[in-house]
Amino acid sequence: MNKDEQDTDRMDMGCLEAIEALYAYLDGELKDPKSIEDFEHHMSHCRSCYSRADIENLLTDRLRTASGSHASERLKKRLRNLIDEF
Amino acid sequence: MTGQEAIRSWFGRRVKENMDALYGVALRLTGSGADAEDLVAESVTKAWSSIETLDDRSRFRPWVFRILRNCFISGYRKQSIRPTESAYYEGGCQDEGDVVSLLNEQPDEFLCWWANPEREFFNNVLGETIISAIAGLPEAFRVTVLLVNVEGLTYDEAAEALGVPAGTVRSRMKRGRTMLQKALWLQAQDAGLINPNGGNGFVQ
Repeated sequence: MNKDEQDTDRMDMGCLEAIEALYAYLDGELKDPKSIEDFEHHMSHCRSCYSRADIENLLTDRLRTASGSHASERLKKRLRNLIDEF
Repeated sequence: MTGQEAIRSWFGRRVKENMDALYGVALRLTGSGADAEDLVAESVTKAWSSIETLDDRSRFRPWVFRILRNCFISGYRKQSIRPTESAYYEGGCQDEGDVVSLLNEQPDEFLCWWANPEREFFNNVLGETIISAIAGLPEAFRVTVLLVNVEGLTYDEAAEALGVPAGTVRSRMKRGRTMLQKALWLQAQDAGLINPNGGNGFVQ
């Protein structure tokens, strides 16, 4: 059976199942190869879910950039002093 | 170097490596830079005094984040007026993987937009808008999204840090991210940046 025939025969997971798996997939938590393959197959032909996944990735990048914080020099010094006293 | 000194040296290095992450999560929990610094200092002190409970050194991150959150719960949250998770949301947490109920809770206009959100809007979302949206999430969802999406913990590590099953982390990620997008959608609507009847698709 060639790849096209395999794709035709494959049962599509549907949008609800894809949304169920979306965050686990994007967060690298979808481990089962069959689940990954089914999810990616759905994404390859569903514009709506592909668009959702695209936006989720963008939002994660924005969230990471906006929420990243740096400890002040004051806090660093305070923690160094604390640990020196342990 | 004695054994105790070696442990202290290792502990100091691990604290230094995670200082920004600890401060970042503390800041989003307390909402104040000064309170966040106090919370981190208290957590580091607590962590050192219970270092013998760290059985596996490779689990330092979830272990220290758990101590941070416990310190927050036992101290700072008591003084706080910030909203915490409601019974409604706690019920949702136990409802693992129920996407249908998650979708049923959302208004139709949001679901239409959610299925086909406008990329241009997200391209222009400002940092303050996201910070404001994340600050409005119930605490359980806020800290889960931060630990996973910002600090890069795995679901297992986040579960360990939060003292909940990994399935609850998975469920909170779905709900937390949906709530975050809904908050952005509402803010964008209020600012007239998107069409309230927008969206040209729907989940099949």
